[in-house]
Amino acid sequence: MRGGRIVDLGGAHAIILHRPHAAVSALSRQLLAVGLRVSTQWPVLEADALAADFVFFDADMGFDEQFPWQKAQAPMPLIALIGTEAPGRIEWALSTGATAQILKPVGDSGVYSALLIARNAFQARRALSAEVADLRQKIGERQTVVRAVVMLIEQTGSEAAAYSALRSEAMDARISIEEAAGRVLLRGSQPSARKPKGGAA
Amino acid sequence: MKRSVPVGILYSRSGSYARISDACRKGALNAIEEINADPARSIRFEAIERDPAGNVDSYGPLCEEILRDTPARHIIGCVTSWSRKEVIPTLEKSGGTLWYTVPYEGYEASDHVVYLHACPNQHLLPLLEWTFPTYGRRGYLTGSNYIWGWEINRLARETLHAVGGEVLGERYLPIGSVDIGRMIEEIRATEPDFILNSLIGPSSYAFLKAYAALGADDPRFSPDHCPVLSCNLTECELDDIGAASEGLIAAGPYFHDGAQAFVSSHEAAANAAVYTLANLLEGAEENSRLHIAALLQTPAGLQSRIDAKTHHMPQPVLIAQVRNGAFRVVHSGGLVAGDPYLSQPVPNAMRRLRVVS
Repeated sequence: MRGGRIVDLGGAHAIILHRPHAAVSALSRQLLAVGLRVSTQWPVLEADALAADFVFFDADMGFDEQFPWQKAQAPMPLIALIGTEAPGRIEWALSTGATAQILKPVGDSGVYSALLIARNAFQARRALSAEVADLRQKIGERQTVVRAVVMLIEQTGSEAAAYSALRSEAMDARISIEEAAGRVLLRGSQPSARKPKGGAA
Repeated sequence: MKRSVPVGILYSRSGSYARISDACRKGALNAIEEINADPARSIRFEAIERDPAGNVDSYGPLCEEILRDTPARHIIGCVTSWSRKEVIPTLEKSGGTLWYTVPYEGYEASDHVVYLHACPNQHLLPLLEWTFPTYGRRGYLTGSNYIWGWEINRLARETLHAVGGEVLGERYLPIGSVDIGRMIEEIRATEPDFILNSLIGPSSYAFLKAYAALGADDPRFSPDHCPVLSCNLTECELDDIGAASEGLIAAGPYFHDGAQAFVSSHEAAANAAVYTLANLLEGAEENSRLHIAALLQTPAGLQSRIDAKTHHMPQPVLIAQVRNGAFRVVHSGGLVAGDPYLSQPVPNAMRRLRVVS
């Protein structure tokens, strides 16, 4: 696959989770024309589905136990195949974490844009989750930083010098301020311990 | 007694791209005449013609009229991608097939269209690959304001960026507009290595004439220094461009470079459409009622070279330059299968080009 190009879909593997049906053949035709590899599974996804690049699933007959991952934790973009536009079914399709949909009956077009939209939204969601996790961890460690600074004020004499020492510790070891604060506290709690391994001199 | 098969012809006899429509229409009608006169053929075509007169909103209704009011299931027609997209829903509804005989921008593989001319891996990408070492990697992009120009220029921009080239300007004109002053000024100011021109009809003619005048005044803009490239320029428009056509470079599957039968690739592709369709429909009468997907599974379909997955055909990659008023082929890249979604591996030469930069 070619890196970075929006058109980069050649050779990608798509799995269609749907019972044998006209929608499956129409969908397969479009996917093959775009250059993907296609396989069909029903009623549950096999373990090899974890390596697929896209999963299309039937929103009409679908249920949670079909997927070998926790709800809304699919490792690839999901695309819902919606025939019945009933609120309950749409709610369920949304709960899977699908980021695009195709309406049944599947016609002559729609798959290419669904692939690109699903992939884009999947990547955006994943990037956002990673950022949120990172920020959560930082917030959680605020207390650690405050305690490390208080400890360093005793050693250095001023708040400015304490922050500066903490920053140097982080930069020298190429770690985050929060991690550096953790090390400062660890050292402080073990007065005789030497500087931990891996810290730059 | 020959079996009569009605076939729709949907080309605009007037409007801003009438030259191309005329070339396609001539190619189709001549081929129909040949098939009808051929005693070895079991079928004769009966042309059912409608004229959208260059109005994009007439294509859908006229296509529907043919499919609803006549037994015709196959239509040869459409020039702009815009008009092609207008007829596809109608074709889907009625199980009809459009035989499309002009170059287009790719990203389509309708089950109801057969694509008989080149798509970007058969025109634009080989053209750029050939241009970069010869003229350079700093391009100015023009186009008419619809999908053809947008998508060709997007691909050109992407390709230029991938090889470390530069886009010095990108400008569009409404179809039919001849307001080319600003483009010429921008080109004069930025001095590109080449211009990629995806304007159509009168816009293109006006631009090419003004640019040739600039080149006559200032050798930096002569065809040797900064040529105009196109994936939609063929012989059928050279008369409209006149002396300004000298030095223009085009990519396409066919150029009239000697004594061949057809004046342009449009005529050649329309001819191929009629002959391919005739071959598919020969034999059993029920063939006339089969959908194109089923026809492609017959022995004649398998021989037709139409790819059953994408409905595209392999095309020769040729690059030609206008010299003394006629195209001369300057590079031949061999026969290349259509890859409308550019999902096949990049050809070696292009990959080399990308790695080098």
